[in-house]
Amino acid sequence: MERSKQKQMNQNENETDSVINGHFDGRMKIPGWSAGGAAGNPSTVPSSSVMESWREERTRSLEDNEMSLPSIAAAYTTILRGLGEDPQRQGLLKTPWRAATAMQFFTKGYQEKIIDVLNDAIFDEDHDEMVIVKDIDMFSMCEHHLVPIFGRVHIGYLPNKRVLGLSKLARIVEIYSRRLQVQERLTKQIAVAITEALQPAGVGVVIEATHMCMVMRGVQKMNSKTVTSTMLGVFREDPKTRDEFLTLIRS
Amino acid sequence: MEYQKAAELNGLCNGKILTVDSKKVAVQHKNEISRKEAEDESRLPALEAAYTTILRGLGENTDRQGLLKTPLRAAKAMQFLTKGYHETIYDVLNDAIFDEDHEELVIVKDIDMFSLCEHHLVPFFGKVHIGYLPSKKVVGLSKLARIVEIYSRRLQVQERLTKQIAMAISEALQPVSVAVVIEAAHMCMVMRGVQKMNSRTVTSAMLGVFREDPKAREEFLALTKGAQ
Repeated sequence: MERSKQKQMNQNENETDSVINGHFDGRMKIPGWSAGGAAGNPSTVPSSSVMESWREERTRSLEDNEMSLPSIAAAYTTILRGLGEDPQRQGLLKTPWRAATAMQFFTKGYQEKIIDVLNDAIFDEDHDEMVIVKDIDMFSMCEHHLVPIFGRVHIGYLPNKRVLGLSKLARIVEIYSRRLQVQERLTKQIAVAITEALQPAGVGVVIEATHMCMVMRGVQKMNSKTVTSTMLGVFREDPKTRDEFLTLIRS
Repeated sequence: MEYQKAAELNGLCNGKILTVDSKKVAVQHKNEISRKEAEDESRLPALEAAYTTILRGLGENTDRQGLLKTPLRAAKAMQFLTKGYHETIYDVLNDAIFDEDHEELVIVKDIDMFSLCEHHLVPFFGKVHIGYLPSKKVVGLSKLARIVEIYSRRLQVQERLTKQIAMAISEALQPVSVAVVIEAAHMCMVMRGVQKMNSRTVTSAMLGVFREDPKAREEFLALTKGAQ
């Protein structure tokens, strides 16, 4: 009784959560891509509802941006007044528009879909050693305080006959980081996207970031860094593979 | 009316003559009006509503769990990041000026500074190095950092920030000279626009002897560069 109630609650929660950023909470699975994939074991992808659909609808377009710009700019004017500043002084005259455009840029990940970026750059290679792209600069926005997060992303995967163009890994990072994010979710989304695209034997993603919400306000700890990681597939099961990955990104 | 005073507050350095020779008392410090805390509370709903509009305009769903209280948190965060409007130099400095017979350079360096770009409302942060040659009066060292805090926690332009800090110190202490150097990274350049990750902007304000005598300036710059 209890378990089915719990499941129902989860489902409801997931339904309300399954919007733009929380898309991976939705349960859409594409028929062609099974969870096991070429690797053949069910633990390639986490069994919870963390699957981002490739066929998701684009949630924002350039026209949407243009249409919403005036209202966002007006909101920024209100904010400037609310802080006690004079929106008419020379330095602040065009600030609402600049800030609105900047904010739209910081959330441009909502305009892009993985499938557009990756569709052509998957190649068949007979390579089954680890491929790592590290020190990818990442800039995101904290969804709780609307303050920047920035850091580095390290991605490694063990291909299974299919490799990805290297810059596409950085593009995946861009798409998911240019949103209102939580670092844990960002890490997982990147890992899941790579898994769905390539069905590799394993994926590892490590993000090390500084959160301005902790540095500029609140506890104000200047040198603190937050590290999150997601290991899927072989990286999760085999400690040696994981060790190799972690050593290579440290060096 | 209120807005005008706030504008004066931040625009204090526009059109001022930079001189350390004037013996006038820091009268304008007393005239600075500070934004009261009760005002902050009363303005919160309007800020929250504005942030909700922004979130919706960006295409997000404001009812999802992670964003439910975000307008409130973002509004409070923004008020914290502009709390420099609350504070006046007069409150902070009034008690910590001491008579000391010291006429050598005093430097406080590597003061972490966080401010908001007034053009994009995006942070810029870096380090401030302050040096001054006292003229019989020294100031408590943390007060230099507090002056940085007051002026940096506002919507700022790095050039103006540097000047304001220099002017505040020169007016409070009437030292022989003041030097302020700020080295900062601007997120508006790093996260967007040209996207140059490693660029840094350096501004300096030299008043008095530091401006006229190259050797004094050299000494200050050498001491702030070393052991970084």
